[in-house]
Amino acid sequence: MRAGISELAGRLRNREISSVELTRAYIDAIEKLNPTLNAYVHLTFDTALEAAEQADRMLAEGDAPVLCGIPMALKDNICTDGLPTTCCSKILTGFKPYYDATVWEKLKRQGAVLLGKTNMDEFAMGSTSETSFYGAPLNPRNPEYVTGGSSGGSAAAVCANLAVYSLGSDTGGSIRQPASFCGVVGLKPTYGAVSRYGLIAYGSSLDQIGPLTSSVRDAAIVFDAIKGVDKRDQTSVDFDYGPSLVESLDRDIAGMRIGVAEEFFDGINPEIEASIGKAIALLEKNGARIENIRIPALKIALPVYYIIACAEASSNLGRYDGIRYGYRTPSYTSIDEMIVKTRSEGFGDEVKRRIMLGTYVLSSGYYDAYYKKACLIREEIIREFDAVFEKCDVLVAPTAPNTAFPLNYKGASPVEIYLSDICTVPVNIAGVPAISVPCGEDSRGLPIGMQIIGRKFDEATVLQAAHFYEQAAGKVIGDYKGGAAI
Amino acid sequence: MKYEIVCGIETHIELATRTKIFCGCTTEFGGEPNTHCCPVCTGQPGSLPILNQKVVEYAIKAGLALNCKINTKSHMDRKNYVYPDLPKAYQISQYDEPLCEKGYIELDSGKRIGITRIHIEEDAGKLVHEKGFTFIDYNRSGVPLIEIVSEPDISSAEEAKEYAEKLQLIMRYIGISDCKMQEGSMRCDVNLSLRKPGDPNFGVRTEIKNINSLTFIQKAVMAEAERQADILDAGGTVVQQTMRYDEKTNSVAPMRDKESSEDYRYFPDPDVLRFCIDDAKVEEIRASLPELPFDKLKRYVNELGLSDATARQISRYRKVAEFFEGALAEGAGVKNAANLIVGTIFSNMNTEEEKELFDIRISPAQFAALVKLADDKKINIGVAQATLQKMLESGKPVEEFIKPEDLVGISDGELERLCREAIEANPRAVADVRSGKDKAINVMFGYIMRKTGGKADIRKAEALLRKLIGQ
Amino acid sequence: MAISKTEIEKLARLARLSFSDEELERFTAEFDEIIEFANTINQSIEGGTEQIRSVGARMVSFDELRPDEVAPSLPNEKILSNVEGYNGFFSLERSRK
Repeated sequence: MRAGISELAGRLRNREISSVELTRAYIDAIEKLNPTLNAYVHLTFDTALEAAEQADRMLAEGDAPVLCGIPMALKDNICTDGLPTTCCSKILTGFKPYYDATVWEKLKRQGAVLLGKTNMDEFAMGSTSETSFYGAPLNPRNPEYVTGGSSGGSAAAVCANLAVYSLGSDTGGSIRQPASFCGVVGLKPTYGAVSRYGLIAYGSSLDQIGPLTSSVRDAAIVFDAIKGVDKRDQTSVDFDYGPSLVESLDRDIAGMRIGVAEEFFDGINPEIEASIGKAIALLEKNGARIENIRIPALKIALPVYYIIACAEASSNLGRYDGIRYGYRTPSYTSIDEMIVKTRSEGFGDEVKRRIMLGTYVLSSGYYDAYYKKACLIREEIIREFDAVFEKCDVLVAPTAPNTAFPLNYKGASPVEIYLSDICTVPVNIAGVPAISVPCGEDSRGLPIGMQIIGRKFDEATVLQAAHFYEQAAGKVIGDYKGGAAI
Repeated sequence: MKYEIVCGIETHIELATRTKIFCGCTTEFGGEPNTHCCPVCTGQPGSLPILNQKVVEYAIKAGLALNCKINTKSHMDRKNYVYPDLPKAYQISQYDEPLCEKGYIELDSGKRIGITRIHIEEDAGKLVHEKGFTFIDYNRSGVPLIEIVSEPDISSAEEAKEYAEKLQLIMRYIGISDCKMQEGSMRCDVNLSLRKPGDPNFGVRTEIKNINSLTFIQKAVMAEAERQADILDAGGTVVQQTMRYDEKTNSVAPMRDKESSEDYRYFPDPDVLRFCIDDAKVEEIRASLPELPFDKLKRYVNELGLSDATARQISRYRKVAEFFEGALAEGAGVKNAANLIVGTIFSNMNTEEEKELFDIRISPAQFAALVKLADDKKINIGVAQATLQKMLESGKPVEEFIKPEDLVGISDGELERLCREAIEANPRAVADVRSGKDKAINVMFGYIMRKTGGKADIRKAEALLRKLIGQ
Repeated sequence: MAISKTEIEKLARLARLSFSDEELERFTAEFDEIIEFANTINQSIEGGTEQIRSVGARMVSFDELRPDEVAPSLPNEKILSNVEGYNGFFSLERSRK
């Protein structure tokens, strides 16, 4: 098994390795593998080594936080003061924010070492990371397949051991689905558990930042470090999680009520169904009680998600006009023309489609039929989740109805790709936490992910169930050989 | 009148909070460009708005002062449109759940102009067009505004001006804005249409922008009413459009600037939580409001017996009113106090600002001490005025200028002697008075005043002189 | 056709996007499918007549709102750090070849 955060933290404190050495090992691996894998789009090796030196000093003083000196990566839509943050879009070429996202500020203070910014679907809109201005990242498990999206680069970096952990963002599944495609762990926290300040917005009422890691324990460690109310984000919530979610990880699941909703399994790949079924059986064998439940509103969760997310996105992306930052078209005859050309040249097709859909559903004459209706249905979905969590402690579902697509798969229309989000978007609509853990491989050797969904602010139970499964199931997918030699 | 004017006014008022509506940047006027900014008010990617409590409080104050119903649950909406001075390409405003609704302002005639709604929103930055460039300063971006929309109850240009004037007065009084039209802290847009008297339907209305003073409001309404009347008289139809008022030519012309038919695609802003305020807090805010100017005016006229003109002059400025009332509380007499304020004290203040600020060096108690001397006729008005002036200039109390000896009045006998002396010394004047040129009596007054150093009681002197002259 | 070419052009104008004729053809077809997809919410439960106020379940009370205290603004160089400013202003040439 690969060395996780705790083990590396131990080695750092035992002086078996320094943060600088550890960082160099990751830098070497990135230099070797990233040109092919394209997991990173902006590299920050100089500041990483400076941070590593600083971290070594912090470690020497003793009492350094657990993440001190550990090399990691951030998705390219998380603002880093003075470092490129482009959402993998042409329209933010050259943009360097002069402020840090709150999550990055927290990690920096703890001595985290940032190796670079990772590849993603442009403005987080997509499920394959192929809409990136910098080209798609490749799935380290099989480079002819996609990583999933939109946090594809973050998932690939962790999978290929080019980062110990990374942060991604999840609006409709963008942490969990790439985690499942690449065979790593991905956690989307409860909406409001982690500050969104500094996360470049896509769907404001759905976005959350979360960790991608190689183990559930690592996800708990990183979540502990980044969570918390932030006065710069009014939607962040002051919830008392207690001292640490890591300490409460080990728990016997006997008696835990696990809900299985048939709506999640509608039309999924039979291999995936079998794999999840096996996982559920394992949990049941260990004492969990399986409850068959219904969540009828899930059937229309997808269009509800796309309507709300695109409406918010069409508004959030209005500010990209070349005036204050980013790309500006070189020739124009009026300011209005400058704005139109900048946006038309700067945005990719999928972003344009979503902006147009968002504009449509908010426009006069359509607002009631689409946006308002979607919001009302959203409230219904929330009520159904609330009802279900009266009877269950967690839900288990597939993370995606399929494993990774082949790269450049021409067959899929935009809507077909949207349909692959069916298992993940309801979680964002309801604002509840969910984790994806690897639970098997398909016949092509591509990883399958299982999703564990919990009540709002009950990351503890979600992590406990996931951790238990991870320990009990043992090795479910092949090891990735490569990456940093440590 | 051939046509009835149907007019409503939309007013944007900059709130005098210390910080902007969604971030902690200062709202201070002036400053080098883009030095009162942060990621939030310049719309940087990843920034989020955080609502300022004072903005909500001030908006509620405005609503209470305008007799509105306060919505104790409210939220913000995004108004989406593109313009370089709007950094996020949307303005955070309120659409269907404004903070205050259904109030009114009462005009002097007793007629009430309805207030449809008051809502809070953010201001945009400033554009400067010069030599082929547009320069943008976001210092003003994010400054809090309230938008006050009146019902179309205004039926004349005079009423329009009076409405705006009273609105301005109230907002200054409750201290939420300095409402200076020339500086842009109060902006009025006029909506106007015409209809035949008795016609229940509304005519086509136009919106007039760029009106920079109260007088121009009146002129703009007149100009536009005339323009529309001419069109209707000729059998044409008024085109619904946004107009621009031109001060220099006193005319109204269509504005081609912003697209007025833009679909704003309002929706609730997901970054700003819905907020609520309990009734107890609203009452607390209501209790903190000062007595409003019109209530003061009524009280001054009806209970204190001041003339309407004087009462208006004093009640118009909150600090002046407070000074006046403070002096009354210390025993000063109403008439003398009022006259000395609007006479002597105001003669030292030339501008509105100075009267608003009312920065004087004496306290109400010190003023009252002087006024009481005049009330008791221990000094006459002329002395009171002169002494007051010296007090204002020096900040010293009345005792410095009027010693007890000065207060000793001229005895009646002494006064009679002086009157006879005055008559003897001015035979020509006496003759003039006897022959009907009454003003000549001032010559004798002057003589007596000179002799007594201004201390004589003029009324007594007059009575005596006339008696003696009549002899 | 769930949506006409004219309507798409109107939306494009609102969104400040422009499409070439060829792009518009392709786009209209894709967009059509997307609208059909969005229309599937109509086969759902009947929504109520209430206005939606906010997508957040939480409401914040007046006392929890931000106090009116000045926080230092950022220096002008930072504010302009991603563009070429002019005398402290954001600067935009009104036309450029």
